[in-house]
Amino acid sequence: MSVSADVYVPGEVTLPAEDGLFALPPPLEPGASAAPETHRPTFHGEGGTLLGIQIVNVFLTFATFGVYWFWGKVRVRSYLCSQTELEGDRFAYHGTGKELLLGWLKVAPMLFGGYFLLTHAKLLGGGRTWRFGAIGASYALFLVFVPFAQVQALRYRLSRTSWRGIRFSFRGSPLAFVRLYVVGTLLDLLTLMLYSPIYATRRQAFLTTNTWCGDRRFDFDGDGRELIRSYLRSLALTVPTLGLSWFFYLAAKQRYFWNHTTVGGARFHSTLTADAYLRLKLGNLVLRLFTLGFGWPWVTARNARFAVAYLSLVGALDGAGIRQDARDASATGEGLAGLLDGAGFDLG
Amino acid sequence: MRLDWDGWYLDGETAARRRARLTLGPGGLEIAPADAATCAWPYAEIEQRQGHYAGEQVRLERRGGAGAAVLVDHEFVAALRRVAPADAARFHDPAVRSRRIALTVLAAVASLGMAAAGYVWVIPGFAAVAADHVPVRWEERLGASVTQDYASSRRECADPIRRQPLEELLAAVTAPIEGAAYRFRLTVVDDKTVNAFAAPGGYIIVLRGLLDETDTPEQLAGVLAHEVQHVLHRHTTRLLFEQTSTGLLMSLMAGDPGGTVAFAPQAARVLGLLRYSRTHEEEADVDGLRLLQTGGIDPRGMAEFFEKVQKRVGTEPSLFQYVSTHPKTAQRIERLRELAAGGTRARRVLLPLVDWRRAREVCTVGR
Repeated sequence: MSVSADVYVPGEVTLPAEDGLFALPPPLEPGASAAPETHRPTFHGEGGTLLGIQIVNVFLTFATFGVYWFWGKVRVRSYLCSQTELEGDRFAYHGTGKELLLGWLKVAPMLFGGYFLLTHAKLLGGGRTWRFGAIGASYALFLVFVPFAQVQALRYRLSRTSWRGIRFSFRGSPLAFVRLYVVGTLLDLLTLMLYSPIYATRRQAFLTTNTWCGDRRFDFDGDGRELIRSYLRSLALTVPTLGLSWFFYLAAKQRYFWNHTTVGGARFHSTLTADAYLRLKLGNLVLRLFTLGFGWPWVTARNARFAVAYLSLVGALDGAGIRQDARDASATGEGLAGLLDGAGFDLG
Repeated sequence: MRLDWDGWYLDGETAARRRARLTLGPGGLEIAPADAATCAWPYAEIEQRQGHYAGEQVRLERRGGAGAAVLVDHEFVAALRRVAPADAARFHDPAVRSRRIALTVLAAVASLGMAAAGYVWVIPGFAAVAADHVPVRWEERLGASVTQDYASSRRECADPIRRQPLEELLAAVTAPIEGAAYRFRLTVVDDKTVNAFAAPGGYIIVLRGLLDETDTPEQLAGVLAHEVQHVLHRHTTRLLFEQTSTGLLMSLMAGDPGGTVAFAPQAARVLGLLRYSRTHEEEADVDGLRLLQTGGIDPRGMAEFFEKVQKRVGTEPSLFQYVSTHPKTAQRIERLRELAAGGTRARRVLLPLVDWRRAREVCTVGR
């Protein structure tokens, strides 16, 4: 899809890009020694290999009249996970195509109905009041549905991701996130989007502090106030820089989010810069344009590499201290988010 | 054969990684971690999760083993395949990798073949069936919204007095249609491009450029009769289905399903890019001509106009888009000419009291 989908719009849905794992801070333990250890995650994957996977997926999807689509998705995710390394160990993906298919089957009729109402209300006829009522109701439903699907998808993805045999999990309440989302969106509109940096930080705080690796919870200690200045500067420079000033805010936001994320006594550290981010997006755009969209495997590999390239965690890693504490999650939420993919929302 | 190997063991209880001595025993894999109890996994219960690609660590798990895993190198897997031939199919053989490229190329060729077959046969077939099942009311609403979207970026020439002759023409053309499910509506848009198209549900759009090229009311009647037949045969509805399915097919192949469901807003843009197929064109030509004859309208104007724009397109291809959206060959125009000559003689003169050169100026403001 277009680059604009990645440019931050207040209130926009931001889930970790395809295969959420990269947004997961790996587990840590408080360091006992004085000199802090630094750990760097690495992505080893190649666009060429992904292209091979994609070709076989397309073939099998055609040959099975679309059913294999879900298994293909699992193969791509497994690849992206197992090519991401931390401390000599690769992440692992445990989801299955069957889970994804069943999750999709459960929500597809409901969501297509809703989407149809939203976009084709004028085709259905009826009085003006009825039509506007239907459209209004669909938007309201959508406002509730997006955060709900986002949390449920995250819950599913994390429950199927592991590092050193320890499963991740998401334990936040979907309703709490829906409340945060609806209130935040309204406040955002009331303050003419000036509330955006605080709102984005509050969403990030909710998602981070409800993420666990085994029995270890991630923590977040930012309130977003520091982002306001960067936000206003980017806003003020939007016209003279033709919108490029937003890359400064986006990079600052990512740095801020990571630098305020901790687990145990260790803290993440990001050195992401605006020009690196701009180069990534421009490169992806060129790749997509010149391959008529078929450069997807390289774009995905570039994004995955970028997600960890500027990231490190400082503090001791004590694997023995992290204990298994897996939580189950159904793929229904994944199905919900999968449908949003189809509707053009970049939920992955 | 070597039966003892060094590897790593994850117990699935903590994130600690232990060195382990691995032995390929007669009934299963014996695992002796550095500072934990020894365990044995029957071969039939071992599954490989990672290690299908070069440079990736090999990860073996026990089915139902709650996260316990063994990390080994690729050579170990080769030995494992030999020790447990019955279960070998579940373990990745690096020798397969050289064949993998050939298989991938094969899959690519097969996919392209299937996509082509889908494009040529499956999608048109599906579109024809689907279009026949769309209720006319839906077509009308779709046509209305498409026309509205199309006209919104340009000026619509809506002066009822100036439009009057055109409305009379349309009425004369559509008069012989019996039991028509559609009510035909004409929209004139101020655009110098020479083109006309049919949106679903009876909406016909004519651009000012096309009006300017017509010399007689009969020529415009020919164009209208042609577009009316596109509506009656549901060609546009079918094409919109085809465009959507093709978009879906393309995005499926590109691995990017985003943005394909949003179809209605695109439809208006698609309208200008429609390429009617040869069969659609012939149907619309021949049936359009019959419609004129039934209504007692001189059908020679139709062939005349097609011939004229066909000649003029060479000078200004970008202006004469009618030719590219309604492809015709010299043979087909010739056939129309014969059909027109062979039919019954025209019984009426269209708009006898009107100066056509003046009447066609629907978009002129003032004067």
